[in-house]
Amino acid sequence: MSLKSFKRALWVYHLNTGSCNGCDIEILAVLTPRYDVERFGIMLVGSPRHADVLLVTGPVARQMVPRLKRIYEQTPDPKVVIAVGSCGLEGGVFYESYNLAGPIDQHIPVDVYVPGCPPRPEAIIEAVVKAWVKLEKAEQGVR
Amino acid sequence: MTTEEVKTTYTIPVGPIHPALKEPIRLDLSVDGEEIVDVDITVGQVHRGIEWLGMNRNNPIQSIYLAERVCGICAVSHPFAFVQAVEHAVGITPTEHAEYIRVIIAEMERIHSHLLWAGVAAHEIGFDTVFYLAWRVREEIMDLMEYVTGNRNTKAMFQIGGVRRDITEDQFPRIRKALDYYKSIFNQLKTVFLDDRTIRMRTKNVGILKAEDALKLLTVGPTARASGVAKDIRQDQPYAAYADLDIKAITPDIVTGTVVGDVYDRIIVRLLEVKQSIEIIERCLDKMPPGAILTEPKIAKLLNTLTKAEGEGVGRHEAPRGEVIHYVRLESGRETLSTWKIRAPTYVNLMCVSTILKGGQIADVPIAFASIDPCMSCTNRAAIVDQKTNKKSILSGKELHELSVEKTRKLKG
Amino acid sequence: MEILSPEEIIDGFKTVLGDSFIDSKIYEREVAVKKNVFKTIWIYVKREAFRKAVDYICKLQECPHLAIISSSDLGDSVELIYHFTIYYGRHLGELSLGLRVNLPKNDLKIPTLTDIIPGALFTERETQEMMGVEVVGIPDKRRLFLPEDFPEGTYPWRTDETGPQDMLRVLPGREKK
Repeated sequence: MSLKSFKRALWVYHLNTGSCNGCDIEILAVLTPRYDVERFGIMLVGSPRHADVLLVTGPVARQMVPRLKRIYEQTPDPKVVIAVGSCGLEGGVFYESYNLAGPIDQHIPVDVYVPGCPPRPEAIIEAVVKAWVKLEKAEQGVR
Repeated sequence: MTTEEVKTTYTIPVGPIHPALKEPIRLDLSVDGEEIVDVDITVGQVHRGIEWLGMNRNNPIQSIYLAERVCGICAVSHPFAFVQAVEHAVGITPTEHAEYIRVIIAEMERIHSHLLWAGVAAHEIGFDTVFYLAWRVREEIMDLMEYVTGNRNTKAMFQIGGVRRDITEDQFPRIRKALDYYKSIFNQLKTVFLDDRTIRMRTKNVGILKAEDALKLLTVGPTARASGVAKDIRQDQPYAAYADLDIKAITPDIVTGTVVGDVYDRIIVRLLEVKQSIEIIERCLDKMPPGAILTEPKIAKLLNTLTKAEGEGVGRHEAPRGEVIHYVRLESGRETLSTWKIRAPTYVNLMCVSTILKGGQIADVPIAFASIDPCMSCTNRAAIVDQKTNKKSILSGKELHELSVEKTRKLKG
Repeated sequence: MEILSPEEIIDGFKTVLGDSFIDSKIYEREVAVKKNVFKTIWIYVKREAFRKAVDYICKLQECPHLAIISSSDLGDSVELIYHFTIYYGRHLGELSLGLRVNLPKNDLKIPTLTDIIPGALFTERETQEMMGVEVVGIPDKRRLFLPEDFPEGTYPWRTDETGPQDMLRVLPGREKK
């Protein structure tokens, strides 16, 4: 299907709510010349106010809950949230710990889930494509 | 000009690693104009209670995989130290063949981690081209790790009494091919990092840590070696196959002749360690003794031994960032560990951050902080206390990064 | 700085500490193909002589390396082990030393080491918040890893009633244990 609503490619903002960095370096590896999504225009931005897609990793540590909510509210609509890694889905290996405040979708609505510990860069690219298609459908449904 | 102590709070997020790697750490910097006077650190937002999980929920074999997820970048160091601690406590000796395989995997991880750091440090100065170059070069070792172990990160190679997968003779040619690739581009990497005029201007005499401070603040790893303290567990109290190879700790006077202890010295130490790792892997491949990979191949029997064992043990490993130490205590009849204490190297290296940043400028904070290679991908909010004016301003992580890049542009002329 | 053998070090401790010296152990292991032998020393002292023992270690090596303080909950007492290493920087020459101190649970106090080893600050702060041991004379009493709103009096590493049982996360669909 052709993409009509977005004249430029997606801008992505990454947020770490207490992960071990495994998923984070796979997200960075997606930008490097091997997988190279920058040739499609997908770019990592430094502020949530410019972003279309939120990539959230990590089981949510208690101290990070207010920050997570604030960043979600700062991102302008239309937006998609992708939860990367098993920690964000159900807590991963840390599911019973005393310092966790629940999986990500208890605090903000999530659109795409990427399981894996850590997921491969190819899986992250597919998740972003799915998010793009979902955004397109939402835009066209609105109009 | 009066010097009243009027304290105000600037909030500056310190984003040393990459705008993407945001891990919470809070730095409170007291400034006087542009110069930093004092630093305070608040950590803890990544606390997941791993030691509690190991003591109350997992048996020792499951805890190996939990230890892997303490840090995704040094995912081999923590299992290595943990497995040594349990073997020390129970009295199991791993097989000789497995000891050599463990060293090969650990050195491959060291190459990957130092190249990752090199790219991130270049990005903090503003050299995005070098960031992409370093990470492209790193992909070769990630392919090799996938060929040998099955995954890029979190390799799950360690087991109590040995390793889980074998490296056989028919895999050696592929490993040697990757090592030859690194040997051929090493001189290029050295020229890019050490001979570039802008990198020298930004990193020489920035973030100095003297040898006495490094000893008193218990610094470990390349941060300590760059200040002249030649501490390296692989040289002092070796374990696994390191005890057969005579390893020498690397200090920056090999290249420059003197030891200053600044960021440039840390770049030298890490680059030379990449070269040392390539040589270590080659020597291990040449000298590998034959044998089995596990002392006790049946898992049920191993678990039985562990449940009945009683004792305590300490395991240490020289990770890419410094010394990792695990302490384990087992009680007879109890399925979980009785006590488990983990200490990662960044835990200790964080205490020297205040000494490194004092007397420097705000624009140098990203590169100086990144030079200790914080494994916590620390970013976050840093509160700055200005002792002269009463202004309050909030700079985002992006703005701090831009401050650092702007300084490079000014220096370049 | 002269290099002493493990047995001489233990004799030195016995001389300096007298009655407060309870027990010692040397652990040996052989490593890899060449079978070099490495030794670790474990020393058990009473709490009153703790600072004297650390001063003796500082005499053996000018800036001893303190790796970590580990603590175990043994029912009605808490045992702290200070993991030191001395004689580092020499090929095959380093020696690991574990200093063990036992504290009764109704009087959990231990003097600080930050005046002679400034780098011990983080590990003492962690022992304070995770085990409930009070470190007397510590310059910075704040919490290190736990969040600000974590309840006082709950100590994650303890196995008695002050443990974190009430703070555990219950998965949806399962009831609280």
